[in-house]
Amino acid sequence: MNFLKKLVPQVALAEAQLLSRSSIHTSAVCCRVQSGRYRITTKRNRPLTYEMANPPHFIGHRKSWNSWNTSTLEDGLRPSQTAIEDVFIRKFMTGTWHALVCSEVIIKRQHNTIRIAALIRQAITPRKMYFLIGYTEELLSYWMQCPVTLELQTVGDKNDVIFKYI
Amino acid sequence: MSTGLTRVWERLPLKKQAAQSGIRVFSQQQPEIEDEEEFRVLNLRTVKQQFQRRREVRRDPVTPPRTNRMAVDQDWTAAWPAPRSFHPASVPLPLRQGFTERGAAAPSKFANAELMKIPNFLHLTPPAIRQQCEAIKKFCSPWPKGLETEAKWQRHFPVEVITTDYLQSLPTIRNLEARRVTISLKLSDLKFDAHARDKFLRLVGDRYNKDTDTVTFVTDRCPLRKQNYDYAMYLLTACYHESFVTEPWEASKSEADMEVYLFERNQSKIAAEGILNWSAKEGDNKISPPPAYAQCVEQLINEGENEYNLAKYKEEVKKMLNV
Repeated sequence: MNFLKKLVPQVALAEAQLLSRSSIHTSAVCCRVQSGRYRITTKRNRPLTYEMANPPHFIGHRKSWNSWNTSTLEDGLRPSQTAIEDVFIRKFMTGTWHALVCSEVIIKRQHNTIRIAALIRQAITPRKMYFLIGYTEELLSYWMQCPVTLELQTVGDKNDVIFKYI
Repeated sequence: MSTGLTRVWERLPLKKQAAQSGIRVFSQQQPEIEDEEEFRVLNLRTVKQQFQRRREVRRDPVTPPRTNRMAVDQDWTAAWPAPRSFHPASVPLPLRQGFTERGAAAPSKFANAELMKIPNFLHLTPPAIRQQCEAIKKFCSPWPKGLETEAKWQRHFPVEVITTDYLQSLPTIRNLEARRVTISLKLSDLKFDAHARDKFLRLVGDRYNKDTDTVTFVTDRCPLRKQNYDYAMYLLTACYHESFVTEPWEASKSEADMEVYLFERNQSKIAAEGILNWSAKEGDNKISPPPAYAQCVEQLINEGENEYNLAKYKEEVKKMLNV
């Protein structure tokens, strides 16, 4: 209901202006935003990572971007293609490293190289991990037509990345 | 079925034959299944079953972070040679990042995705930069002699060419904006006569900046930078040479077409000469008005009447007429 509280003075002002002129009533715009925000549970047992604990309006203040590239700058080239590729890379990563990725997949582009960083759970043997690294790099670099590097960090337990419970 | 088959088999003479020849055609010693499978017991009452031990997953021991074994005086450029996302086990710094409520410690460097997001310059420490500069020094040539100061190199290279290179995080290195070429030069570096200068300024139009006395050509109509550069140089050359050409119609420029007042071709010159040569006879040398007077009349009409110009005009008239 916080957003309504913020809107109250604006709505009052708009209504005052309208009433003076006509009797047409307009409702306030529905500016409810939900994406990237999590509800508090009654038992306070929903685990959140640092990324989840900070809603999107804190990007650039408390947390930073998950995709780093020059396409989103002003007059950047092929922004749509880059966004679609990023979505694909994220899907491929979470699918290939199934139930192993503990954080968001961070995609950093420098010139023609793509560097992908993520937190991975130590649930499989290092040998399998090395295979998956090579597999992911090879396939993604074939699809993206540019060198892809995986820069992973492993965590022993998935509870290591939990920042707080709500 | 199998027993029936065996019976048929025994009756056959082949068996004896096979036994005699010593070839084992069919397995004769079939082991009988001794332990019969027990039926599963239907457990109606919940009886505590024996707890089945889960198979333990054998895990490889996780090696401790590399930072524990790092020497204090190690060569950091070897430990972190190239740009890379932050890795807590490789960086021996007690870093923390993240916003927490008041009083709580910020999240540590382990399992911290924020530290992996931000670009780091751990590969560009001052020793690394020094090392790389030393390595590429052998490709550098000394600065040319005679071009030490800006004044010197501007005398030798009067044309300034400005182009922009774009670095972008894309699979392509092409950028359309990189095709733009700007060339500029001081007008004082070109040699003109009065007519050519006037015509050149008319040709270039607003590409001439009066305050800095520079002419600037910006070209972007060709797809490549080289072509745009060539085009800009062509424009400069063509304008310069064209300004020296006097077309036949230029002679028909009347007083109404003049952009500035010129004393030489106006009535005031004739009037001043008439006054100065009032009592002169035929054949005497005509006295022409002094150049200071001419300049002051031009200034008065070109810049408009103001206090300074009028006072100066008065002075000059007095001087000329010896009043």
